[in-house]
Amino acid sequence: MKLIDTINRAGRSLKNAKARTLLTSLAIGVGAFTITLSLAAGEGGRDYTDQIVSANSDVKEIVVTQKQPEASTGPREFEESGAIQPGASAGGAFGGGAEIAFLTRNDLTAIEKLDNVEAVIPNYSPQVTYLTTDGGKKFVVESLSAFTPGLALEFAAGSVDGALADNEIILSEEYAKALGFENVADAVGKTVEIRADALAKLGESKLVPFTVKAVSSKSGLAFRAQGSQLISDNAARDLYVYINEGTRSYDKFILASVRISEANKAEEVKEALVAKGYEAQTAADILGTVNTFINVLQGILIGFGALAVLTSVFGIINTQYISVLERTQQIGLMKALGMRRRDVGRLFKLEAAWIGFLGGALGSGLAVLAGVIANPAISNALNLDGIHLLSFNPLAVAGVVVGLMIVAVVSGIAPSRKAAKLDPIEALRTE
Amino acid sequence: MIELKNITKTYGKKQNAFLALDNINLTIPSGASVAILGKSGSGKSTLMHAMSGLDRPEQGEVIIDGEDILKLRTKQVDQFRAQKIGFIFQSFFVQANETVSDNVSLPLEIADVSFSTRKQKIRAALESVDLLEKINSKAKNLSGGQKQRLAVARAIVNEPQIIFADEPTGNLDSVTGDKVEAMLFGYNKKNGVTLIIVTHDPDLASKCDIQVNIKDGRVESVVDNKEIAAEKVGA
Repeated sequence: MKLIDTINRAGRSLKNAKARTLLTSLAIGVGAFTITLSLAAGEGGRDYTDQIVSANSDVKEIVVTQKQPEASTGPREFEESGAIQPGASAGGAFGGGAEIAFLTRNDLTAIEKLDNVEAVIPNYSPQVTYLTTDGGKKFVVESLSAFTPGLALEFAAGSVDGALADNEIILSEEYAKALGFENVADAVGKTVEIRADALAKLGESKLVPFTVKAVSSKSGLAFRAQGSQLISDNAARDLYVYINEGTRSYDKFILASVRISEANKAEEVKEALVAKGYEAQTAADILGTVNTFINVLQGILIGFGALAVLTSVFGIINTQYISVLERTQQIGLMKALGMRRRDVGRLFKLEAAWIGFLGGALGSGLAVLAGVIANPAISNALNLDGIHLLSFNPLAVAGVVVGLMIVAVVSGIAPSRKAAKLDPIEALRTE
Repeated sequence: MIELKNITKTYGKKQNAFLALDNINLTIPSGASVAILGKSGSGKSTLMHAMSGLDRPEQGEVIIDGEDILKLRTKQVDQFRAQKIGFIFQSFFVQANETVSDNVSLPLEIADVSFSTRKQKIRAALESVDLLEKINSKAKNLSGGQKQRLAVARAIVNEPQIIFADEPTGNLDSVTGDKVEAMLFGYNKKNGVTLIIVTHDPDLASKCDIQVNIKDGRVESVVDNKEIAAEKVGA
């Protein structure tokens, strides 16, 4: 018997039992739906974190910190003669009893000497007093940091090619508007001033002028650089030195970014840093951590889908056994007419495959439909314009359907064997 | 030509053993119409199963065209049935949910007949049983007589050498029964196909060339109706 004839006959038999076929394939469809959505969510989630991480970190950058002392277990006894920890004032915000180990100038110079390291930039984040335009309102600066050329910034106006000059600044859209530039494009090329107060020398302060190079726009991806006002490394350092010189926390940094010469040396430099007793994180590490989380979640979801598929396996076996019983005479006739055992078995396996195909196509089709409908809603709710959290890969969807067809065929093996073994004389006995 | 030699078939085991066929020897010439006549339980159906390769007697030979089909493998017996044999059953066994055309197509599909010749063969078979206008109807919408004619079409579509008919008119009224009989005998005469009818109806049996009377698994007598008819004409 030709395969195409067997496929046609299998399809017709299912059509003759429409309700049963539909219900059985719906069971497998639930599994297909769950698995397809989990795959899409995992794919979309990984895309999303990939974008976030690449927008906020540079592959040619490694974040390095001092190795932190082991977290203290239980209350610590006060030491009368103990030196006052530098972190007691500088890291006060991080309090809670844990000490914080800081990077010092010595550490930074030591790191700078490592192979493939281009520069070591501590995160200065100078605590300036305010930001203003000439004669305009004064605004507290929540975050002022150094601009890294590798960051993927989105600009509302102007643009930056390479590094910033030491007298240039990138304003955030929010601040540009607050400073009175109704149209953010007007801000580009204008001068803003930053006031810095020297903490150790009472009453000493200065106003530093900066030219606005560009205005960064809000984005669903970036959270580190986007909200900050950005200036060059040198300008940040100068401000930091001016403000903090002479204080206890001066030249003690929680973290520093190590800029390396080539992106593929990141692992090498990281190992060298760890060997020297520092903690280091590359962009890939950050991505890996987030992705592990997504993968675990996706695994759990797929597990639920697999459970649904397992349940439907019993449904298919049951349906096919009933079908064999119901069609005893038909099978007997086919065998009497000379249909081979193998072909009879194949007929029933193909019926199971049809059920798997229907269920898979139905389930994953609905999942894609649900995704297309849900994607804009999710993006809206989470404020991610243009990013789709459910990303359907056609190959993955096809894989789900084919996989379920195979599962269905395997479930159909036992009933099809029963059909193949049927004795035509017994099957055709009418009395 | 079909030759049966020492066919013995037992059902059950040991104390419960039941001798269904007891040392049957029979020769059926090609192109003849043969009635196997007997009461229910006489072994006539078992004999038909043995001759068609559906059943395997534990002793004896079934030689068809010089080949003992009991010595063939299952696969080859299946192929032999698909190529050379047509079946007609008392309860029709047509597939109610399928169209007339799909019902007739089944033996062609099993025998791996090419797509190009199928359509024409199906039409020819339906034409000869006068069912061509129903080609696209569902089989469940046919009357009893039409169903049996459909079964006849299915039996002859692949141009078999032997047609086995098990009580072909048992479920039909006498008028439709006569029509189906006429078709079977007509096909038998026209195409020289061996027709073997299993029946308990002496009237039907008397219309066949040869009448084999079976009782308790044995051949009681073989009557050549043609000779009797010739004698009658002669007398």
